[in-house]
Amino acid sequence: MESQVIIPDIDPIPVPAPLWLLKVLLLLTFTLHILAMNVAVGGGFIAAITEFLGKKRNSQNHLELSRSISKMLPPFTAFTITLGVAPLLFLQVLYGNFFYTSTILIAWPWLSIIVIFILAYYGYYLYSFRWEKLNGKRFAVVLISAILLAIIGLIYTQNIVLMLTPEKWKEIYFNNPHGTNLNISDPTVIPRYLHFMVAALAVAGLLVVMWGLKNIKSNEQLGKWGIRYGLLWFIIPTLVNIVVGLWFLISLPKNLLMLFMGENIYATIYFLIALVTMFASLIFMFIALNAVKPVMKIMFGKVFLLLTVVMMVLMRHELREAYLKPYIDWEKVQVEPQWGVITIFVLLLLGGLITVIWMLKKSFGKSSLVVHN
Amino acid sequence: MNYPFWEVPLVGGGWLIGIVAILHVFVSHFAVGGGLFLVLSEIKAYKTNNNVILNYVKKHSKFFLLLTIVFGALSGVAIWFTIGLVSPQATSALIHIFVWGWAIEWVFFFVEIAAVMIYYYSWEKVDRRTHLAIGWIYFIAALLSMVIINGILSFMLTPGKWIETKNFWDGFFNPTYFSSLVVRIVTAIVMAGIYGLFTATFLVEKENRQQIIKYSSKWVIPFMLILPIASLWYYYTLPDIPKEIVLGGISFVSNTAIIGIVAGFLIFLLVLIMGYFNTRLFNKFVATIILILGLTIMFAGERVRESIRKPYVIYDYMYSNGLLINQFDSIKEQGILKTSKWSKIKEITDENKLQAGEVGFKLYCASCHIINGYNDVKPLISDLDEETIAMIINDLENYRGYMPKFAGNEAEAEAIAKWLYQFNKENRKEQ
Repeated sequence: MESQVIIPDIDPIPVPAPLWLLKVLLLLTFTLHILAMNVAVGGGFIAAITEFLGKKRNSQNHLELSRSISKMLPPFTAFTITLGVAPLLFLQVLYGNFFYTSTILIAWPWLSIIVIFILAYYGYYLYSFRWEKLNGKRFAVVLISAILLAIIGLIYTQNIVLMLTPEKWKEIYFNNPHGTNLNISDPTVIPRYLHFMVAALAVAGLLVVMWGLKNIKSNEQLGKWGIRYGLLWFIIPTLVNIVVGLWFLISLPKNLLMLFMGENIYATIYFLIALVTMFASLIFMFIALNAVKPVMKIMFGKVFLLLTVVMMVLMRHELREAYLKPYIDWEKVQVEPQWGVITIFVLLLLGGLITVIWMLKKSFGKSSLVVHN
Repeated sequence: MNYPFWEVPLVGGGWLIGIVAILHVFVSHFAVGGGLFLVLSEIKAYKTNNNVILNYVKKHSKFFLLLTIVFGALSGVAIWFTIGLVSPQATSALIHIFVWGWAIEWVFFFVEIAAVMIYYYSWEKVDRRTHLAIGWIYFIAALLSMVIINGILSFMLTPGKWIETKNFWDGFFNPTYFSSLVVRIVTAIVMAGIYGLFTATFLVEKENRQQIIKYSSKWVIPFMLILPIASLWYYYTLPDIPKEIVLGGISFVSNTAIIGIVAGFLIFLLVLIMGYFNTRLFNKFVATIILILGLTIMFAGERVRESIRKPYVIYDYMYSNGLLINQFDSIKEQGILKTSKWSKIKEITDENKLQAGEVGFKLYCASCHIINGYNDVKPLISDLDEETIAMIINDLENYRGYMPKFAGNEAEAEAIAKWLYQFNKENRKEQ
């Protein structure tokens, strides 16, 4: 009998680094990428709705906020790309034979990402550079850009799920080798995708909170409004995301769902910590909503949120490993670390980070750093 | 032949990569040379107290930002996306050999993107010295990202000692590393001038405009003279077969090279005559023509560079269809259908012979030959009978066009011949 699952052989050239190092770098850069993406995408949607509310209520506060967000969207989009390149690189060393295959099946939607991205990105620059002149068109411009970026996320999620389900490849490819397939019918794709997108609104909401905190000294009324408005953007999506998260969880095949219910000790621990930190951040943000001195509460809320994001990334990784467990034998992967080049990379990475921090400090000083973090 | 084959109609995967790559290098070389242009022009403006240049550099930096950070960066990602789809086996090999090279390039890319944004946003917000420092950081990071990626790109044509040692540095500093790096740097400076000429024509004040046009011309003229010398050096560092291909071994390659040389010569003349000597003749139309000629040089350079690698994607290591040279013998023993993971047909029978031929063609030939599209085989075989086609397939490497050796068995050659014979003129008449 011919086997039903075809998986390309792993590359005959050994992996040039210990697997743990590649996995750590993959997860670290992915976490940073996701945070930047959250602001770039979630911030776009918040800007659009803020534009809309500002016009409807004729509110100066909304106007001030959307003007500020317009300046943040292009740099955060740039960071989304640069920080996205790295995890995609490490993903290809570790899971290349899965990733290339699934990508070929959805080649054209995958390539369309580039065109969509260029349009969305120029839309953000238009919104940013022509903020005054656009006036009535601002809402439409930023909303279209944000929707385009959100579409990219949907294509990504489809590919990242498809690479984990090799049992589907054969049928898809032999029915259509032209690369015009999608993976939208997978029951986990939509909830998984929404789980990211709703979280993007919440994280971008925190940026609004930080904007409020920054403005509170110069304009108390605006600052307080910003904090409250941003907190609501954090709290409401996060509550919604609890439901979406549960939906995602029950959409998983049963054996994978059970990973988080005690079957896999790491997955279960990450899940429990994530639940605790998520509720902790919600509680702190709730208290901050009506607090006279909200700064410290928000700080704690932020730290717990960051922990939640890290736990989510770790859970996602355990899920991936479990999906691919029948198809990868890590023991058999040949490893020959290029320590010399790895050392150069680490040194240059440190040098690069110092250089960027120096430039930011020199040009924006302390006060603006808050916004640009 | 480990991965499924993605069928791209008309142009085929090779040209798809080509189109994306040509557009990318057209902007990415500007992103490197243009960085130097920004900083040196800013210095000149301060030193000579020249506000015309200073105001121009500010304007130019906005154009620079918008073009390089969005289109430049994303078209670079697009190349990566495309090669993964068209040549997954080669992309996988390159990533396994050079992942740390790419990781280092990514550091420079990150610094580069951050620096260009800060450079643009910090005009007048920081003192001159700091602003220039940020400009230098941008240029150095951009240049270093080229220094890195050039090692990986030139490796594909001349892997050199890596074939035996499998050592990172042997592959990186390969026989064409330095010559191709110099060609790229010189091209980058020429591009800086060409784009400078273009944005200069948008200045409203006539005198200012002419001053900047003349200034930008000085970036193009001397380096356009160095470019042929650098290219010649690159040519001399090539192995014999690629040299032979350029010199007429494959006519379209030598023709493409000639197109590139003519385009370079025209740029030189136009910039010298209209940019430098008769600056008042220079306008948006001329600037656009020069940009198009610049794109033509990029087209020629990329196309020649890609074509002289035939029939390999990584020289002496992997054929364009993804077949590893060191697996050739074992595949020859079993046949391509049996050893290809994504072949629907594993055994050839009398009933499936025609279909087996089609599958075999797609697996082995279709990465370069697109039926009804680019490099179509139909016109090449329209006068041949089935037996002759089979003979050619079995003797592929000795046939014209620098093709790989055929790794299939006799039965597979016959099946492919049978399938191709459908396209024979007389056979079609009979049907």
